[in-house]
Amino acid sequence: MPAGPATARRRPFGTLRQGIRDLTSRGRLIRYLVAADLKRSHADTIVGRAWWILDPLLQMIIYWILFTLIFQRTTPDFPLFLFSAILPWKWLASTLGDASTSISSRVAIVRQVQFPKLVLPAASVGAGINGFGFGLIALAFFLVPYHDRVSPWILTLPLIAAVQVVFIFALAIGISALNAFYRDVGNLLGHALRLWFYLSPALYSLESLPPGWVRTILSLNPMAPILDSYRRIIWGTDEVPHGVAPDFAALGIVLVVSLLLSVLVIVGFKRAEPAFARIL
Amino acid sequence: MSGAEPAILVRGLGVRYNLTLTRRTTLKSTLARLGRRSGAPGARYFWALKNLDLTVQHGEIVGLIGPNGAGKSTLLLALAGILEPSTGSIVVDGRVSTLLTLGAGFDADLTGIENIRLAGAFLGIDGKKLEALTPGIIAFADIGDFIDAQVKTYSLGMKARLGFSIATSIAPDILLLDEVLGTGDQEFRAKSQLRIRELMTQAKAIVMVTHDLTYVTEFCNRALLLEQGRLVYDGAPDDTVALYRERVTKKTLLAAGTSGRFEGATP
Repeated sequence: MPAGPATARRRPFGTLRQGIRDLTSRGRLIRYLVAADLKRSHADTIVGRAWWILDPLLQMIIYWILFTLIFQRTTPDFPLFLFSAILPWKWLASTLGDASTSISSRVAIVRQVQFPKLVLPAASVGAGINGFGFGLIALAFFLVPYHDRVSPWILTLPLIAAVQVVFIFALAIGISALNAFYRDVGNLLGHALRLWFYLSPALYSLESLPPGWVRTILSLNPMAPILDSYRRIIWGTDEVPHGVAPDFAALGIVLVVSLLLSVLVIVGFKRAEPAFARIL
Repeated sequence: MSGAEPAILVRGLGVRYNLTLTRRTTLKSTLARLGRRSGAPGARYFWALKNLDLTVQHGEIVGLIGPNGAGKSTLLLALAGILEPSTGSIVVDGRVSTLLTLGAGFDADLTGIENIRLAGAFLGIDGKKLEALTPGIIAFADIGDFIDAQVKTYSLGMKARLGFSIATSIAPDILLLDEVLGTGDQEFRAKSQLRIRELMTQAKAIVMVTHDLTYVTEFCNRALLLEQGRLVYDGAPDDTVALYRERVTKKTLLAAGTSGRFEGATP
């Protein structure tokens, strides 16, 4: 980290409060940035915003071909099993990718206007939420042929999504700042996300793994209870062929951890903020 | 005291760049440095400004002149609050508007109107107030139907006009300008000069960086000469410009002399 300015450092609590005020007082700026992002994405394509829905569908079809035709997976309603986890994973991956360049790609504005830089990764998080919303439309279509699996538990989806938002927010803020200092972070991110994806219960469920230390370690991954909960309410479990209750306890732990992480990351971000204009 | 508060009060300002953390920084170089833990940290810093004192009153138009790398732009960035002082303090009384490089912060995929909204939001201007200012901004920029076209279709001049119009329309108390008055065609130049004079009469403080010395003598009522991060002279525009010209001439003569081409140098 760079040597900080010689000005007196605020207490962590004041820094946190300042960071939160940065976000709440600049809601309009965040909205504009999200809208600009929406307008830009797929603006030069033929089907336009339909890509938001096509993207996860195509990805799911690829995995479905791979697993049912080549690996001969016999999981019932496997496409829905896959889709229930790929959709939230895509949300995480695309938001973090976006956030990593949210500061480093805006050299001109960072160097010319004094504004709270927290709004930049926050806008990435907002754009990601939008994308996930489109994905849910794809999910709704998808559920038609699998309507047998639908249960009232699917209404708890916003709760799981809320936990995931906090988790994504913390990571997005941290990655945006780190990538402003070290461009390696952006390069590493793609590979790290791919490894993380395979270690997360997206293409498989943790229950299908033999009990042992590997399973124990993999279950410590914060994305494990999140993906597992989506799958439980959308697809069900190996024993129950329809939506069941999410893992509330595990989600609660992820929420608490994500909130603590957010606090740490906001304070760290505010400390690093004055350096952005100098190093970009 | 009331009414006599300076617009800008700078004391002992120093701005230091950390040369080891430039955009080329990679984790590897930082880790290598941490591993070495070598001494002499002073060698890795560059003081763009050192121990600068400056008081600007409302209504003053201050020209900043000096050679490239003298710290002029750094001083503007520090006054704008974009760079934090490494030493010393800056107190600014009022809203600051920066016009550092016109339109460089625009989002090329958005239209002119959308960029006005976005720029206003970046500058922290209240939504309703900006909505009220927008017709005036559009009228002054005077770029016709292009205001509804994406900014990527704009010429440099059009971008500059829109940028200038935004920055000067938000009624800043303090306006910081960096090499921007020369942009646009003759007509827009005349218009922007008029706008600057208007802001002057409203007792706004303006600090501008320019290499156009005639601009300094014509426009400013005070000029500062910066060299290598230090304030060399502070006085009337004519005196400062004369001193700068003298020093530049001396330097070129010296350089020409040492390279042995003094005899053949054109006057």
